[in-house]
Amino acid sequence: MIIDKLCYNSRLRYENASEKFAFAMITLFICVMSRSIAVACIVLSVTGILTVCKGGIPVSRYLHFLTVPLAFLLMSTLAIMLHIRRTPMDFFAVPIGSWYLTSSVHSFLYALQLILTALSAVSCLYFLSFTTPMPDILEVLRKLRCPKLLIELMLLIYRFIFVLLETASAIRTSQDCRLGNRDYKTALKSFGMLGSILMIRAVSRSNQLYDAMEARCYDGTIRILSENRPPKKKVIAAIILFDTALFVFSLWRRFFL
Amino acid sequence: MSKKQKQIIALAGVFALTFGIVPKVNAMHVMEGYLPGGFCIAWGALCLPFLAAGFLSIKKTLNEHRNLITLLAMSGAFVFVISSLKIPSVTGSCSHMTGTGLGAILFGPSAVSILGLIVLLFQAILLAHGGLTTIGANTFSMAIAGPFVSYGIYVLCKKMNINKKAGVFLAATLGDLFTYCVTACQMALAHNADTTFGAALGKFLVVFAPTQVPLAIIEGILTVIIVMGLETYAKPELRAIGYIKEAK
Repeated sequence: MIIDKLCYNSRLRYENASEKFAFAMITLFICVMSRSIAVACIVLSVTGILTVCKGGIPVSRYLHFLTVPLAFLLMSTLAIMLHIRRTPMDFFAVPIGSWYLTSSVHSFLYALQLILTALSAVSCLYFLSFTTPMPDILEVLRKLRCPKLLIELMLLIYRFIFVLLETASAIRTSQDCRLGNRDYKTALKSFGMLGSILMIRAVSRSNQLYDAMEARCYDGTIRILSENRPPKKKVIAAIILFDTALFVFSLWRRFFL
Repeated sequence: MSKKQKQIIALAGVFALTFGIVPKVNAMHVMEGYLPGGFCIAWGALCLPFLAAGFLSIKKTLNEHRNLITLLAMSGAFVFVISSLKIPSVTGSCSHMTGTGLGAILFGPSAVSILGLIVLLFQAILLAHGGLTTIGANTFSMAIAGPFVSYGIYVLCKKMNINKKAGVFLAATLGDLFTYCVTACQMALAHNADTTFGAALGKFLVVFAPTQVPLAIIEGILTVIIVMGLETYAKPELRAIGYIKEAK
């Protein structure tokens, strides 16, 4: 959960959460809708600079996280770009028996555009997750009239994730100490045992937690105190300006070029 | 080089590409920004009826038994944690379980649809697996299609009196494979420039098969071990979870 730790240390953490949420969402939307290489490059650089320079996330960490979806990206882009045909196409062709592993210039450009769009969309997502802690995002969702039950479930799940992760890592350590991951067979068995014990612990923890909540007068809603950080006019103006410019630019690229 | 030598080199190249580069094998989340806008909205809309049904059933259950909310949340967190732990894998790369097949067997498919949506949102924001625009597509493949198939097979095997271990294994493995096929369909529908839908689907299936098929089998084995462990040690806890499933 490195992302969670990093976002609590971000310098942009105390900005108004709705502003950050709106910026990330609108930019993401424009980026996915326009699917143009130029827009993708602009978005990638702007959100990257904002996250790294303004937010103070180490560059190496940021680049490392950009490579997380790389496996998916590489494999699916290969599937889009390469064709197996009886006749070679115009970009390149490698003969395999009587067939050709081949690609056209059109599909190469399509794949390039897809990679850039996907990376820039990921950078928008990272801007949000590297600057905004989960409780703040939930607060924004609450303002957007997301059903109360869902928000409450999310809040509880977010809390429990850390409880269970801690338990799981303690179990993993003790399994390692007892040579539980010695070879493949024991590793499978250990993981299965870890899973079932984790479930048992989870159930008993959840019962204890409910008792504790009852003891503190739980009546069906969990109230959390949210710090009120009023939005800054300058930031809102900057977001509106940037996104309008980006929107107009993408329209122009699409219809007049 | 003779023709045969060329073939061997080409084959070795394909092998190296599929096994050499891949640093990390996740369950197949469609990446952020990978689907065009129209498809994102369409898949999201397709999920809505299932999510609404799941939401209403959870709400009804919770109105009757308010104390189940912590159990439900703990189940969601359990699915998240199980899917974020590294599992032992054959190829040496680090891979993760989906966890939704196990969830469907334990908690029933309609609760898993809502829990799956929340888990996918957290995976996107906290682990950078999947994404916000593709959450509709991912929810459909991983939290709706897969679990429903898993649960269907599990119930069917139970009715036909097939060995419980075999039933759980089949449910988890086939649910996982179904998720993988649905994801390949989603990608082929969105990206079939220069070819037909069928050819694109075939390519996506082939490219992801080397990682996804072993993963599905491992997930099946692990699910069997986990379920058996629970049956042995945790009868009362299983009864408590059963409330979520029965109270509909």
